[in-house]
Amino acid sequence: MKTRIKELRARDNITQLDLAKKVGVRRETIVFLEKGKYNPSLRLAYDISVVFKSKIEEIFIFDSE
Amino acid sequence: MNTKRKTLMITSILITFVILGFIVSERGTKLFQGLNLFIFTAIIVIGAIVSIVTIKKNREKKAGLTIEDELSIKIKYKAGYFAYLYSMYMWLFIFLFKDKFPNIESMLGGGVLLSAIIFGITKFIIKKEINDKE
Repeated sequence: MKTRIKELRARDNITQLDLAKKVGVRRETIVFLEKGKYNPSLRLAYDISVVFKSKIEEIFIFDSE
Repeated sequence: MNTKRKTLMITSILITFVILGFIVSERGTKLFQGLNLFIFTAIIVIGAIVSIVTIKKNREKKAGLTIEDELSIKIKYKAGYFAYLYSMYMWLFIFLFKDKFPNIESMLGGGVLLSAIIFGITKFIIKKEINDKE
């Protein structure tokens, strides 16, 4: 799974730590999400989409494989 | 490093040395040979790692950061499962080679310590191997 979190963070000028604080996770989790190494729960995906004022599918791009 | 932290560190080191001194005086230096030396070293290393992690977590908690989230819980549960599984094999080997241990305390102490080490290693590997195919 690919994510646009890094790109959206740069757009909104938010650090990984700020985002982590806003969605209530560890900074490490944001790092894993940005690298596409972790599939977030629906709750976390929703919280992130709220922070960036975007739809979930605009932030998380799922591979069909 | 502030004075409070320095005092705490010095006190911890002093307490460790007092306890070690007490053990040596009670049971002699033989305790620090062979397998016992490994057990003591492992205890000190694990103790140091646990202390560092606890201090780091407390600092994060005070700063208002999240200490445990869905990913860390997932890693912990998965590591726990694999550590339990591998510990079973470890205990099997320990009981197979029980004659190699000087006494029952060393065998059990070593086994418990190895379980802790297995958990640490498993957690480290799982953290490294997380991928989106989970």
